[in-house]
Amino acid sequence: MNRLPAAANVKILLGALIVLATLVAAVSVMKLDSFGNRGNSIGRKFTDEITELARIDPNLILYEESSIRISTGFEQSQAIAADSEGRIYVVGDNALRVFTPSGEPISRISLSQTVLCVEPGNDGRIYVGTRDHVEVFDTQGQRIAAWQSLGDNAFVTAVAVSGDDVFVADAGNRIVVRYDLSGKIANRIGEKDLERNVPGFVVPSPYFDLAVSKDGLLRVANPGRLRVEAYTLDGDFEFSWGKSSVAVEGFCGCCNPANIAMLPSGGFVTSEKGLARVKLYDSQGTFVGVVAGPDQLLEGAAPYVAVLPEQHRVGGFDVAVDPEGRVLVLDRAKNAVRFYTRKKAE
Amino acid sequence: MAEIKDNVTRRQLLRTGCYGGCLAGLGGLAGLLAAKSRAGDTVWQIDPYICIACGNCETHCVLEESAVKCVQVYEICGYCDYCPGFHQPGAVALDTGAENELCPTGAIKRKFVEDPYFQYDIDESLCVACGKCVKGCAAFGNGSLFLQVRHDRCLNCNECSIAAACPSGAFKRVPADKPYLLKRVENA
Repeated sequence: MNRLPAAANVKILLGALIVLATLVAAVSVMKLDSFGNRGNSIGRKFTDEITELARIDPNLILYEESSIRISTGFEQSQAIAADSEGRIYVVGDNALRVFTPSGEPISRISLSQTVLCVEPGNDGRIYVGTRDHVEVFDTQGQRIAAWQSLGDNAFVTAVAVSGDDVFVADAGNRIVVRYDLSGKIANRIGEKDLERNVPGFVVPSPYFDLAVSKDGLLRVANPGRLRVEAYTLDGDFEFSWGKSSVAVEGFCGCCNPANIAMLPSGGFVTSEKGLARVKLYDSQGTFVGVVAGPDQLLEGAAPYVAVLPEQHRVGGFDVAVDPEGRVLVLDRAKNAVRFYTRKKAE
Repeated sequence: MAEIKDNVTRRQLLRTGCYGGCLAGLGGLAGLLAAKSRAGDTVWQIDPYICIACGNCETHCVLEESAVKCVQVYEICGYCDYCPGFHQPGAVALDTGAENELCPTGAIKRKFVEDPYFQYDIDESLCVACGKCVKGCAAFGNGSLFLQVRHDRCLNCNECSIAAACPSGAFKRVPADKPYLLKRVENA
């Protein structure tokens, strides 16, 4: 049997080693993720689930957007309201703008500071909430009164007028203050008091809304408890509805609903931040359907996880309902008022 | 023809050349030190308002365990019972069960404060900078959780491999005397 010389063995061994090293190097280069396209190795479960949450059954969407759209003219629109004649009030930057029901501008009132909420009264007065107090204007834009400050921690986020009462939601102090029309404090509502069965408001972020219902009870969104609570005007806690859930029937995230409005029928419109959804509940708090989901509110943009500050503003759209039952959504990302009307039964 | 008296010997040439070389070397060394000192004036940091929590910080750091960690700004935190940075979306119970937690390593610690508030602390030794909590907190909470380069761990590489892989350009050089870019309440 012929045997190869030792030198030939070494050459073969070296050749094999070089081929092996070349193969390992080639595989390593191919597996290299220089641009980070593959991301981390844990998977995309969270992102996928968010996208899934944003999908809404089309059969649940009961409203459609009308062709009217009002540009607010603000760089930072804050809040919206409608009066009994359908006029639309929008505050933002340092001004209040009033529009006709069809979107024609009526007036612009300059304000000395940023206002966060607005509510037209039945007496022709307009109530606006600044950071720590309420100011009252007439329709000509003249300031009639500036009520006393609610303190350094105050952060006024909503005003509601009913008869001779004005209710002010103060997110900073986590309380609702009831005033008379002259600005005198009548009582405070919602301070934690276990003996009176008042659970206390939990307001993790500056979204704290209220409305007065036709049944004479005050409805307050308690966002940290993910529900809407009903109080007598004297501050007795009556009942609540709403639950924490990622499903469309519930309120998603840490603190929702961000905003609420009353329908002429006695039902409720709610607006959520984070996952932008505007939904409909009946007077008992039973889920009825959806006015607009992320697909409608974001206008074709793929639902995404809000990370950047400008994306945060996509949620928390303020809502109002006009006498015709149209749902007005203040799109804070586009600084526009969008109108949603109930779809006609097919 | 005039006689050249100042002849340079080979020894003198070598000596002068040696001095010149030493001076050039000293100059180069000084320049190098100055350049190094200038580079040390800045460090890498993540701008939390640009970061999209893509997860690359976990996998692209040259260190075995990333120099990036999640931080919590208590001033911005809502102390929520349902914390979207702590709980899975759709968690079956708001507790510390592993099946309900979003963090793959259990690096966020939940502590009861008073009804209905809970405090959330980051155990940095467990945090792998995957950014899942950052996404959850930003999407549904106040955005109090975000990622920062921890300078007790960062090697301050000239060419940071996380910065090279950062898709949003959130990785940037900042002055070494202000090495952290923290969120503020007014910008939250």
